[in-house]
Amino acid sequence: MNTVLTTSWFRLKEFFLNNPKAAIGIVLVLGVCILCFFAPLFTDYLPNARIARPHEAPSAEHILGTTRMGRDVWSQVIYGGRISILVGLVAGIFVMFMAMVVGISAGYFGGIVDNILSFLTNVVMVIPSLPLMLVLASYLDQVSPLVIAIIIGATSWPFGARVIRAQTLSIRNRDFIHAAEVMGESKKRMVFFEVMPNMLAILGSSFISTVIYAIMTEATLEFIGLGDPLSVTWGVMLYNAQQTSAIRIGAWWEILAPSMALASLAIGLALINFSIDEISNPKLRAQKIMAKFRREQAKENKRHKAQAEGKTGSEMVGGAV
Amino acid sequence: MRYLLQRLGFYILAFLVAVTINFFLPRMMPGDPIQSFLARLAQNGGQITPETVKALESLYGYSTSTPLWEQFFTYLQSILHGDWGMSTRFFQPVVEVLGRGMLWTLLLVGSFLLISYTLTTLGGIWVAWKRGSRFDSILTVSSVIVSSVPAVVMALMLYFVFASDLGWFPTGYAYDPALDPALTGEFIQSVLYHMALPLIAMVLLSMGNIMGMRSNMINQLGEDFIVMGWAKGITDRKVMFNYGARNAILPVITAFAMSVGGIFAGSLIIEIIFNYPGVGQVMFQGMVARDYPLIQGYLLMMTLMVLSANLIADLLLLALDPRLRTSVL
Repeated sequence: MNTVLTTSWFRLKEFFLNNPKAAIGIVLVLGVCILCFFAPLFTDYLPNARIARPHEAPSAEHILGTTRMGRDVWSQVIYGGRISILVGLVAGIFVMFMAMVVGISAGYFGGIVDNILSFLTNVVMVIPSLPLMLVLASYLDQVSPLVIAIIIGATSWPFGARVIRAQTLSIRNRDFIHAAEVMGESKKRMVFFEVMPNMLAILGSSFISTVIYAIMTEATLEFIGLGDPLSVTWGVMLYNAQQTSAIRIGAWWEILAPSMALASLAIGLALINFSIDEISNPKLRAQKIMAKFRREQAKENKRHKAQAEGKTGSEMVGGAV
Repeated sequence: MRYLLQRLGFYILAFLVAVTINFFLPRMMPGDPIQSFLARLAQNGGQITPETVKALESLYGYSTSTPLWEQFFTYLQSILHGDWGMSTRFFQPVVEVLGRGMLWTLLLVGSFLLISYTLTTLGGIWVAWKRGSRFDSILTVSSVIVSSVPAVVMALMLYFVFASDLGWFPTGYAYDPALDPALTGEFIQSVLYHMALPLIAMVLLSMGNIMGMRSNMINQLGEDFIVMGWAKGITDRKVMFNYGARNAILPVITAFAMSVGGIFAGSLIIEIIFNYPGVGQVMFQGMVARDYPLIQGYLLMMTLMVLSANLIADLLLLALDPRLRTSVL
């Protein structure tokens, strides 16, 4: 037991040392998540409680200052992150579910099913999603974070569906699928146990990009003023800061705090995604191998040069004699 | 030719779907714009007569007396005739209001596309060529980081630091309001100056495209025809551009067509934050005032933009990829 633990710890350490980008990404994302989900441990104030004078600059008491309404910015950031992250996850799961159902059925069943589903995908894809979301949200009036997640999910699945369809098509023609078909496996088993496990890397990376996209879009919609101004999320914080002209009066902390939170989460997720791409496509992981190759090549060139110079030198000497 | 006709047919269908969505959405939604307008009017002490209701119905293209399918065809007809309704915020035809903003947006987005795609494509080619070098690791990682910053955050930060605090850049407008729009050097200079910071924000946000070009190019550089090029003793530059990049750029063009919607969406945020009077800013004002005809017109116009970008991409691909010209799809 103990040895298993130590070896897995060792492997983990090795993995992080070999993938510094993944390590930084995971630390950023985990850090933000821990701060948000254990928010009561890191602050004494409730996010919506009026606890000080408006627009107080950062101090020991309120490390990120206060808002126009005299609320503690730090506790708003960490409490608000909960909703922002949840919306990202819910929308991400929704998008992945739609994309998987549409993409795998289109790719696996082919024929008329594929034609209809691909047409649907392409149509939803060319209708620009943000304007569509704005239209939906403005008809629904101020919408709660959950509704925002659903709107994002309903308009953003086509891209993933296309990627997954292409991947399914390429897997569909491999030998093991034909073998499974000959063995008479059921359609359900084919889809879930033969096709899907071969797409885990691609599913993982599309899930992460969707979550990034959803968190950003939620913040955008709320910043524009389509969210519920009474809820505490990063987007609503930015909206309120903008509404109370925090920029003009120089209350930088009110803008900076949610911005940094959003940026570090997005950067962390993007770094993780970047490493997944590198691991699943070794051609892109060229960094180390190519660096070594270049060093060797430089050495080789130097030797050749030295040799060539030596040669011409001796020839010249020979010619002179 | 057949390929092009097929694409064209698809675009017309897609546009019809967008029009249909636009038609049915307000009729399915809980909030009825006419009722909410009447409620607002009553709140402000306005008189509501049957004529008011009738005028509003014709303004929004709604009616309780005519059947739905008849309304739909009337709606479709007016859309195709360029009658997109009246803006209730600006009291002008929607097409006019959007067209005014579109001029600035197209200027902004057009310059953005030119700068961003030149930079990221050349950068991606170069980085793939030099893959594994220190230059490569620094540029790729920093472009991933910079481009993953949310647009709202990037724009707010740049605005706060460079426009509001340091005052190096203007805090709004497309040109100095003291100047008359004319083709003078001073006016053009003012336009460029006002465009600079929004453009910088958009270009920074798009730096991630380097990664796409890089991975395409790296995949191409592993192909046999590249080795063939080397073996023939062709210059580096020719292998890089005529052999590698020409093939690597094809997926970038497809991706460009797909991302146009996102680019306009990004310009919406940028315009709102930098007070740039483009179509996004107009849309924002309309949205605050719940100007439904304008909001719907915006969706239609953006769909048209995306569709025309797709058409341009199709033409470009036909020109660059001879395989498409002969394939019978």
